[in-house]
Amino acid sequence: MLGSFRLSMTWLHTWFGLVLGFVLMVVFFFGSLSVFDREIDRWATPSSRFEPQPMPSYDAMLAPLFAQLTPEADELAAAQARLGRPLEASLPVKNYGAYTTHRDPVLELYAEFAVDNPEDPDDHVHGHVTIDPRSGEVLPHELKLGSEFFYPMHLGLHLDWHFIGYYLVGFAALVMLVALVSGVVVHRKLWRELFTFRPGKNLQRSSLDLHNLTGVLALPFHFMFPLTGLIIFAGLHFPVTDTMYEPLARAYEQGEVRAKGLPVAPAGIPAELASVDAMVAVAKQRWRARGMPGQVGYLTVTHVGDANSYVSIFRAGSDRVTLVGQGVHFSGVSGELLHEEPPAPAAASVKDFLVGLHLQHFEHWLLRWLYVLGGLSGCVCIGTGLVFFVNKRKHQHARRGVSGARWVDALAVTAITGMLVATLAILVANRLLPAELEQRGEWEKRSFWLTWALSLSHACWRSAPVRRAELSPAWREQCWAIAGLGSAAVLLNWLTTGDHLLDTLAAGYWPVAGFDLVLLATAGIAAATARKLGKRARDPSARLASHAPAALDDAEPEAAHG
Amino acid sequence: MVEQLLLGSSLGLSLCGMAWLALAMDVHWRQLHPEQPLRPATARRLRWSGASALLVSLACCLTAEHPSMAALVWVMAATLAALLVTFTLAYRPRWLAFLAR
Repeated sequence: MLGSFRLSMTWLHTWFGLVLGFVLMVVFFFGSLSVFDREIDRWATPSSRFEPQPMPSYDAMLAPLFAQLTPEADELAAAQARLGRPLEASLPVKNYGAYTTHRDPVLELYAEFAVDNPEDPDDHVHGHVTIDPRSGEVLPHELKLGSEFFYPMHLGLHLDWHFIGYYLVGFAALVMLVALVSGVVVHRKLWRELFTFRPGKNLQRSSLDLHNLTGVLALPFHFMFPLTGLIIFAGLHFPVTDTMYEPLARAYEQGEVRAKGLPVAPAGIPAELASVDAMVAVAKQRWRARGMPGQVGYLTVTHVGDANSYVSIFRAGSDRVTLVGQGVHFSGVSGELLHEEPPAPAAASVKDFLVGLHLQHFEHWLLRWLYVLGGLSGCVCIGTGLVFFVNKRKHQHARRGVSGARWVDALAVTAITGMLVATLAILVANRLLPAELEQRGEWEKRSFWLTWALSLSHACWRSAPVRRAELSPAWREQCWAIAGLGSAAVLLNWLTTGDHLLDTLAAGYWPVAGFDLVLLATAGIAAATARKLGKRARDPSARLASHAPAALDDAEPEAAHG
Repeated sequence: MVEQLLLGSSLGLSLCGMAWLALAMDVHWRQLHPEQPLRPATARRLRWSGASALLVSLACCLTAEHPSMAALVWVMAATLAALLVTFTLAYRPRWLAFLAR
């Protein structure tokens, strides 16, 4: 096909990279934001701006809060539609759970309520609240911008219908792996140009330099993250445990639960829960005895209020990459220890390591920032790939009167600057919308999608110059929008909460100070880029910023890449 | 505190290591010494220094923390260092002159 191996790899890299590149751009960008999702939550929810808290006392604080939980209205409506009949006025509670990390000041509680569905004995609906663990006060439902909007965007693009977004992201991850392998094959001078970037050369050359540079230097990151992401969702992409291996999988699950000595089903006899605080103390002592002292990250009560109830306590991941909870399980009624999970066998530990590498529950700020660097270098790699695609073809398309390059350029503007504009717009909306607005979170989301749609229309409307092989002014204009919105977000944070940078920096409150600084840096870079693009638009013949020294300028002829 | 120092040294060593590896390449050596060709012996010395600096950087990471974490930090620090070296070579190559002797 296509003459030679290298040419067929070029075809694969170019076209699959182009089509899925837009999805990958979104996944890499929102993945980078998700590294600091909890910190973004702090910025967007000013009432939660305090230090992370350990899991509070179950007996004194959590037990009465759990008892007050009720099912969410939208889940009840969905269950009614599923069953085709009205539900009972009060549903029996099945399980409780509380989850926190070393970065969470607020604590998330949830309950599962049983729904009587003959077709699915496990059918249930959820109720949840967020509390302030210092006082036990229930906080109002607010959209957690980082963990409830940016993070799901990374996982499934908010296309929830039949998990289509998750499948799309999974396919894009696979294509990323393919693009890396084919990219290495296509790259003619991988070693010779390992440290090469020539900003003074034409756009086609310098964008290809950046594409190769970020692709090759961050190759370990670019390879491991799509791979481990696919491993995390292996069950979704290969649902063998729900299809061909279902009986085997169910038998294995039951056997596993029996081996642990944990009751599979409730006994049907009501019983009181023993002191959970005492169980937490035993669990912590067990972790210390295994040389991994730690805090509680996740606590569940299964078969609530039943003689067969049991309590599971998991350790918060913080000091290693591997995702392990060292679960300790107790009888809910007697409080005696039922089972302590042994270290995982070899295959499972490899999986735990790979999953932990991606989910990063560890406490390591340097590594977190390095992950952001990896993610953003992925964005640069994909973005420059799109720019290179357009610039390689625009002269030819202009001569032949074809408009392909024009539309790809408009989509690239939307995917690169437009995505940033939309992200900043939701932050600005978060600070501007009145607190008492009905369904405030929905309005925040709408502002995001609407802005993104506007940026698409703007990019298409302004794209005509690409037909003459010139630069679309949409790039420059959206850069100005980024600069404006980025500074506005910082300013609005100050005006609406009083927390300005001097304050947060002096107090060392990094979740807000750090995010404000990132916003300002983004605005600054965007403004500088816009000015540079403006200069180029006014004087297209001028070579910009010829910093590149002679030794690099008289380099090889243009690569035949892409 | 000791950990921070070790991680800081690891970053610094990664930077020097990547810079030496880059300068062992003719095209980047000539950016700093246009008149003076890169002798094979110098190239060899630079390559060895680069590789050793990266190894010592790994050792620093391993001393500072759990091996699994250390491996990730080292790989990502090397990525950061290589990117920084590339951008320095593109915009301010003279900053690396002290490493190219």
